[in-house]
Amino acid sequence: MLSYVLAGLALGAVYAVAAGSLVITYVASGVFNLAFAAMAFTVARFYYFLNTEQGWAIPPAAVVSLMIFAPVFGALLYAVLFRHLRLRSTLVKLMATVGLSVALPPLVQLVLGHLTNVTAPALAPRPLAVFHPFGAVLNADQLATYIGLAVVLVVGVGVLRFTEVGLRVRALVDSEALTSLSGTNPGRVSLGVWAVSGTLAGLAGILVAPTSGLSAEGMTYMMSAAFAAVIAARLRSLAVAVVVALTMGVVTDVVQKYLDPSSSFTAAVIPSVPFAFMLVFLLYYAVRGEAGDAVAGGALDRAISPQGGDPSLMRTAAVPQGRISSSSIGTLAVVVVIAVVPAGLDRYWAGLVAAGIAAAIALLSYTLVTGEGAMVWLSQITFAGVGAVVAAELVDRWSWPPLLAVFLGSVLVVPVGVLLGLLTIRLGDLYVALVTLTFGSLVQTLVLTQDPFYDFGSGQPMERPSFAQDNQVFAYLALAVFLLVGLVILNVRRSTAGLAVAAVRWSENGAKTLGISVIQTKVLLSALATYIAALGGGFLAMNFRYTLPDSFHPSLGLVWLAVLVTMGSRSIVAALIAGVVLYVMPGIFASYLPDKFADVPTILFGLGAIGLATHPEGVVAQTGANLARLFTRRPGWAGTAATTLTAPPDPAEAAPHDRSARGEVQQLPTGGQP
Amino acid sequence: MTATSRTGPTSSASTTAPRLEARHLTVRFGGLIALRDVCLQVPAHSITGLLGPNGAGKSTLFAVVSGLLRPTAGSVLMDGRDVTRTSPQKRAGLGLARTFQHPELFSSLTVREHVELAHRIRHAKRRLWSDLITGRGFLPQPAEEKSRVDELVGALGLTSVQHRSVTGLPLGTARLLEVARALAVDPGVLLLDEPSSGLDPRETEELAGTLRRVVSDHGVSLLMVEHDVELVLGMSDFVHVLDFGVKIAEGTPAQIRADPAVRAAYLGEEIAPTDFRRPVTEQGEPA
Repeated sequence: MLSYVLAGLALGAVYAVAAGSLVITYVASGVFNLAFAAMAFTVARFYYFLNTEQGWAIPPAAVVSLMIFAPVFGALLYAVLFRHLRLRSTLVKLMATVGLSVALPPLVQLVLGHLTNVTAPALAPRPLAVFHPFGAVLNADQLATYIGLAVVLVVGVGVLRFTEVGLRVRALVDSEALTSLSGTNPGRVSLGVWAVSGTLAGLAGILVAPTSGLSAEGMTYMMSAAFAAVIAARLRSLAVAVVVALTMGVVTDVVQKYLDPSSSFTAAVIPSVPFAFMLVFLLYYAVRGEAGDAVAGGALDRAISPQGGDPSLMRTAAVPQGRISSSSIGTLAVVVVIAVVPAGLDRYWAGLVAAGIAAAIALLSYTLVTGEGAMVWLSQITFAGVGAVVAAELVDRWSWPPLLAVFLGSVLVVPVGVLLGLLTIRLGDLYVALVTLTFGSLVQTLVLTQDPFYDFGSGQPMERPSFAQDNQVFAYLALAVFLLVGLVILNVRRSTAGLAVAAVRWSENGAKTLGISVIQTKVLLSALATYIAALGGGFLAMNFRYTLPDSFHPSLGLVWLAVLVTMGSRSIVAALIAGVVLYVMPGIFASYLPDKFADVPTILFGLGAIGLATHPEGVVAQTGANLARLFTRRPGWAGTAATTLTAPPDPAEAAPHDRSARGEVQQLPTGGQP
Repeated sequence: MTATSRTGPTSSASTTAPRLEARHLTVRFGGLIALRDVCLQVPAHSITGLLGPNGAGKSTLFAVVSGLLRPTAGSVLMDGRDVTRTSPQKRAGLGLARTFQHPELFSSLTVREHVELAHRIRHAKRRLWSDLITGRGFLPQPAEEKSRVDELVGALGLTSVQHRSVTGLPLGTARLLEVARALAVDPGVLLLDEPSSGLDPRETEELAGTLRRVVSDHGVSLLMVEHDVELVLGMSDFVHVLDFGVKIAEGTPAQIRADPAVRAAYLGEEIAPTDFRRPVTEQGEPA
């Protein structure tokens, strides 16, 4: 038993370092760092480069990686990206970190090279020494992990409790606004926190690499497991995060003592432990009504924090209705171009375009849930994967016609989304992101990569409709369905539910006191989005004629989301362009450029999402606005949100005492509740 | 509390249940007591004012009454029914509407859409679901809804900006929109949190006239927090005064003007000093 406990403590120590780092950076900088896994991978890959590829000994490689490279890397990310995010909305903060998590791993691989089947070193020398305390087994890697956590805790607590720097960090946690008023530069403190965060991410990455693998996927799994401890800590308590992480590690290993290691049940139980912890704490806090997206800091910080949505997103949110606008014309032009393109392409390229259109259907789920609802669901790709599996099952086992299986099978996925929504939405946007990513990892591990659904990666066969065997015909079928779903989303926008969604998005308190149920409204949106994601998954499976479970990995879901927000999270046509770009751009790179540039599209997708911080409207809306300015100066035609919002009403129509007509327009603070 | 001992709320309150009642409300935030044993009634067809300096607990009281905050102790009643543990949206369904100190508007909607949404939530809530199936959002607005929305938008002077997004609206216009939105749900009780802040004197006067008509013509009961003390005392039938979370006085506007505790704790010399220098009768009326 002791051996299991010791092994579990080592696993828990890695979770604890990760969870502790996530909590510290969140409370000190207001940014929940979804790029933690990418940062961990970056530092661990650099350590591998020094230690294994350059032949450095472990101590100098570790010191250079963790004491020099990692903090400089963390500080650089703060200086370039995170310092601009402090007062942004949860949505923008999360999307920037999603973009970073997408761009960073391929960027590192581009610089340091691809690795396959890596046996990564940890911090203990090889061959691995084994000890036998009290008759149990303890290896040197596990011992190094304990020491790593102990050093982090002793140094961390010591610095925070007993030094001037620690005092400033704690002051910043309590209130950035008041800290800056007292003469401390919060930027410098945050810079230090991000430098430390880089080191902690690197330490977690190096420690977990020997067991989880030196890959972005392995690090993402470690991070999503650590989310359970972060949620238990309600995003704030470092002590609770560490204790729960250690407990989680111990439970994960101890249950293995009582399970058959070769059974599929065991294979299902082990990865479920972090999610079970998460579920327990979610229910606990939901029942007690204690969770929610707490704004870090005191009353002054709350007063200046953005509520509902980022002010910079308001320009994109107001879309004038009821007239022909430049965006409508642009939409039509894009649809026509994409409709014409497959006819002139060969089978390969037509297949890629068809895959892109099928993916675009799934991306429309983000248009609803993120673009309209401002929620960051990171499990849409999982819903797509489950939709593909369900449809394939209905076709294979029950001989349903493929189209019927896809359309009706997607309904069966909706309850999953509704349940997830009911569990998380009341707790706040950040919790939605954390739980959905963990849920996606769980389903990927428990379902999509298990037989009979996996079958060596090809998944289950999935037929196309008999009339759409040809790639070009299938592309048109997918385009027709895309337009149909686009119409459904337009209908949602113009409906009373759409108005209610907008109300909930921008002011939950305003919506509640009007009689609108925030939970019901968001769950309704989530249910629709779940259906659309599953529908898109079914079409992807039909396109490839197999379900291809690996193509629905949650880390790829981050790429999907990154591409969509790069193009524009609220625009229907942006989803179409994003889908096509998602499949065609890698095809172009693979066909016409050397292999080493194969990851460049993913890097660009990630950088695009990071750009959301400065251009929240996305490429499509931005380009549309630029084109509109080019072609006309007439105020009535422009049709873009930016121009209509800044244009004052016709003074002739304005009442004499209308200050907006007199140009005395001021920025109205939205949100902000006593 | 001083004025309380002289007179209670309006006489009608003793015979019929008040539209809104707060009973012994206490709210603690850790060691801070934001409200301590506060009682308050809003009788039917009346305007009740709530005064107090910054930090007195007015906004906390509004949050508790509207359901956004749960009290540590005490209860909230609407028409005699205990709604202390009822959600804000259910209280809205019972006829409670409010505005906010910092306007809580929906940035992607136009001025008119705010009022339309509020009207539908009250009168056609089923459309939250049915529109998704019927595609009614693409059809013209029903005549009854259009007429009511036109009426409200016009009454609050918002016609010229009705098709504009609320982003960038002046604060005063935003407050008027909040009032229009609140009235669109045909409330029984309307809580107004500093409705005149940001309005010029003319707009304030127009708003006061509109609110008086709402009370007289539609039987709405108002509870109003306002920094324009003259506005509160000029409009209200009855006034409550908070200070440091404790109710220090209640009474008619004349009684409040004359109350030494109120003058010492809050009004001081800020409000129409000449009024206070005038002698006050035993009944509390200015001489």
